[in-house]
Amino acid sequence: MSDPSPHSDHTLHSVKKIEIIVRGEKESFVRDLLDDSQISGYTIHHNVTGRGEHGFHEGRLLFNDRDSLVMFLAVADEETIQSIVDGLTPLFEKSSGVMFVSDTSVVRLDKFISEGEEA
Amino acid sequence: MPIERSVVSARIENASEYIGPLWPLQTFNAANPLVGFEDEPFDRAVQKAGKLLGGRGYPEPSIFRQAWERGEIDPEILTSRLAEHGITQRPEVLLKRMASDERNPVVDPSDAPLDRVVAKWLSAFLDQGQADWPMPNRSEGFYKAWRAVAPYDGDIPNVSRAADLPDTLLDAFDAVLSGYPEERWESIFVYHLAALPGWTGFIKWRARRANTAWQETYPITLADYLAVRLTLATRLKEAVAPERAKDLPADGTDRTFLPKIWLQAWEDSYRDRLLTDLSQVEASSDAEDDRPDAQLAFCIDVRSEVIRRHIEKQGHYETHGYAGFFGVPMQHHPYDSAVSVKSCPPIVDPKHRILDRPANGKQAQADDHDWWHELDDGRRSLIKTLKSNIAAAFGFVEGSGGFFGGAMAARTLLPSALFRLGKKVGDWIPGPMRFTEPTVDRPAPDEAAPKNGLPVGLTHEAKILYAEAAFRLLGWTDRFAPIVVFTGHGTQTPNNPYKSSLDCGACSGNPGGPNAKVLAHICNEDAVRDELRERGIDIPEDTVFLAGQHNTTTDGITLFVDDDNPPVPEERLDQLRQDLAAAQEGATAERVNTMNATVDTGRAQASVYETERRAADWAETRPEWGLAGNASFIIGPRRLTEDLDLDGRAFLHSYDWDKDEDGTALENIMTGPLVVGEWINTQYYFSTVDNAAYGSGSKVTHNVTGNLGIVQGNGGDLMTGLPLQSLQIDDEHPVHRPIRLLGVIQAPKTRVDAILDRHASLADLLDNEWILLTVMDPTEDNALYHYQPGRDWASHEVSVSPDPALANPLS
Repeated sequence: MSDPSPHSDHTLHSVKKIEIIVRGEKESFVRDLLDDSQISGYTIHHNVTGRGEHGFHEGRLLFNDRDSLVMFLAVADEETIQSIVDGLTPLFEKSSGVMFVSDTSVVRLDKFISEGEEA
Repeated sequence: MPIERSVVSARIENASEYIGPLWPLQTFNAANPLVGFEDEPFDRAVQKAGKLLGGRGYPEPSIFRQAWERGEIDPEILTSRLAEHGITQRPEVLLKRMASDERNPVVDPSDAPLDRVVAKWLSAFLDQGQADWPMPNRSEGFYKAWRAVAPYDGDIPNVSRAADLPDTLLDAFDAVLSGYPEERWESIFVYHLAALPGWTGFIKWRARRANTAWQETYPITLADYLAVRLTLATRLKEAVAPERAKDLPADGTDRTFLPKIWLQAWEDSYRDRLLTDLSQVEASSDAEDDRPDAQLAFCIDVRSEVIRRHIEKQGHYETHGYAGFFGVPMQHHPYDSAVSVKSCPPIVDPKHRILDRPANGKQAQADDHDWWHELDDGRRSLIKTLKSNIAAAFGFVEGSGGFFGGAMAARTLLPSALFRLGKKVGDWIPGPMRFTEPTVDRPAPDEAAPKNGLPVGLTHEAKILYAEAAFRLLGWTDRFAPIVVFTGHGTQTPNNPYKSSLDCGACSGNPGGPNAKVLAHICNEDAVRDELRERGIDIPEDTVFLAGQHNTTTDGITLFVDDDNPPVPEERLDQLRQDLAAAQEGATAERVNTMNATVDTGRAQASVYETERRAADWAETRPEWGLAGNASFIIGPRRLTEDLDLDGRAFLHSYDWDKDEDGTALENIMTGPLVVGEWINTQYYFSTVDNAAYGSGSKVTHNVTGNLGIVQGNGGDLMTGLPLQSLQIDDEHPVHRPIRLLGVIQAPKTRVDAILDRHASLADLLDNEWILLTVMDPTEDNALYHYQPGRDWASHEVSVSPDPALANPLS
């Protein structure tokens, strides 16, 4: 889908966005999962604060990098996001954490979806 | 449908939760072997772990009997605990019943051939520089490397060429798992990971935590391990999913279990006696006014408690307790070393890289050192080559036997003389700590290229952060003495693969002196002091910060001071050194009493000589006790404990509730050092209650493998915890008392509650009784409250006779 724009080169392309929040100790697992999924890039927020099913997790700690939460943000086509979801679903059977998948749009599609994958 | 790699990875990740990571020997980290079970209440967790890993969860009856006979379990407390469960028999009867209830350990159906073959290939692949003939193709990863050599292994039937084995990791899983539904995979993985918890714990550490050059060069994951093991299981006709792997280990049951009741009675007895002592001291304490001659900040380590007490006796000295990495999350690159080491707690990621460089004006000493060091390196390398070369080995032994025989005789018969010779050599050939300084400042941009992603040195802001954090956490914002010493600690023990377990736990099993040097350097900077002054921490101009290191084997304290150009008046320095030497004598006299040592009490410094012998004797299996005995973690000002003899059993973290209105300091102490204290305590606990399953067994029969771990005999699984000789004075008498860590915090109860509200993981440790907690509330006249699982508090009521009976178990 493309939205009309006064600037012809600023066309918006629909993609999927995934936000993942896990305990700090699961950061490596999620990183590996994203790397293996051939996603082109992702963003990590450390020391995230929030409340979940297991209670509150305060982020800013001086002497503990394990117990705070980490948030990942990534954008890709639906198939790639689905493979990430497939890996996280069993994980969340045992570990605390959440993921949100939503529709979003990007301008520079080639930054998020490699050539040949584009639908 | 082919299996999804991401799903297999997630199932392995879940299964690996049951396995605790195992650090290599060089950075032995105290960790709870049952860390994967901490989300369950203690009693249920030990039942579950017992089923999976085969270890016991409570002390043997003989340990309870010894505690009972030493008077460490208060009869009234025990009787009332038993009565809560409707048990009215006499303790002696119950001790006998517990002993007769002990059954011989059930030996599981053995996977011996499978375990043996897997362990053989793991030790070959994971070797970190010990093997002269390393396994080929390791850079391709464990599965591929094993697949290439498996055809040559006579223990593996029906594999004559690599093509007989699945091509890739995923093919291997596909071949083995295709017959099982996905919901079975996790329990299959758990079973096979738990079969060799030492090796799998090490792979977990190396693959997830380490980022070492070994892992980068020769990668291995738990998926590799499982692919090899499951493939081998099918080839060796062993069950991929035996009956006992049908389900994940089920939860334990709530039960009336005698050892559980006895353990609680033992813990309550220790707690009540400690609290009685603490309450009495607090009532009689006076405010401090005059300026001390010197203040020394030590690590919170239980060994510091002994030396601190003896230093305070020598004169007008004050001591503080702070985590022994001094709050500086750094990676340290020692002067002579080819590698950097992590020098902060296991739960903290290093943020800075600190290198040792020759200080200004010390290049001549550095050159002397380098000359000798290179000579020594060449000698070692030559000997290694001669020893391991097939042609040269025989001639080498013939030719050098006399020399090595003499050296062996000297090490065995004259360890004390060797210690003194070592000291003299240290005077002639300067050690790096004498002529180097840490790169605390950020180097010029062209030198500052980050290595391993960590910047060298600290920014001005980081310096302020660490200096302020130190003083805020300790509640130490005024009354600075003319001399303040940050004193790290390290052990001295030759021929001991467990050396690292005796070094500083807050520095990931390394000595803490380098961190002390960094903080002292920061605090001596005018720009830092100016900034601190604006923030209400007023350090007088005449205060000088020094760094030092406490040798926990000999209790000697080395001050890292340039004696050619001392930063404080010489007479003050001399006095301090004399008083530290006197404190060493007192502390060693106290400690050798616990070591089954024969000391000539009429001879001056006899106890110092005995500890120096232990520091030099290559055959000494008990150089020092490390943190054995650790039982409590006291967070409060020193005046709360300074009149007490806590017998080297308490972690002491300085804290002043009155200077921490928003609770930030306490929050950082509770989420950092207290949690590390729990790791240490649980490691000592489980290593003591089951030394075979959770410890390392006897040093007499152990061997170093792969330059990374210990095996018993010539193979098998890696041993995981502390060796028997670190915990027991002999085969029957533990020196460590296996009780859970008691936190004692002097702070308003509401403040502790607010912190637990914000930290679910910490609250879990308390709710699940991995840590016990008592709060002494200064806003309620120091009323005592005990934490109850489920976020509740109970008032302290019981009072017991103040008879700690904490001394040597042999007495």
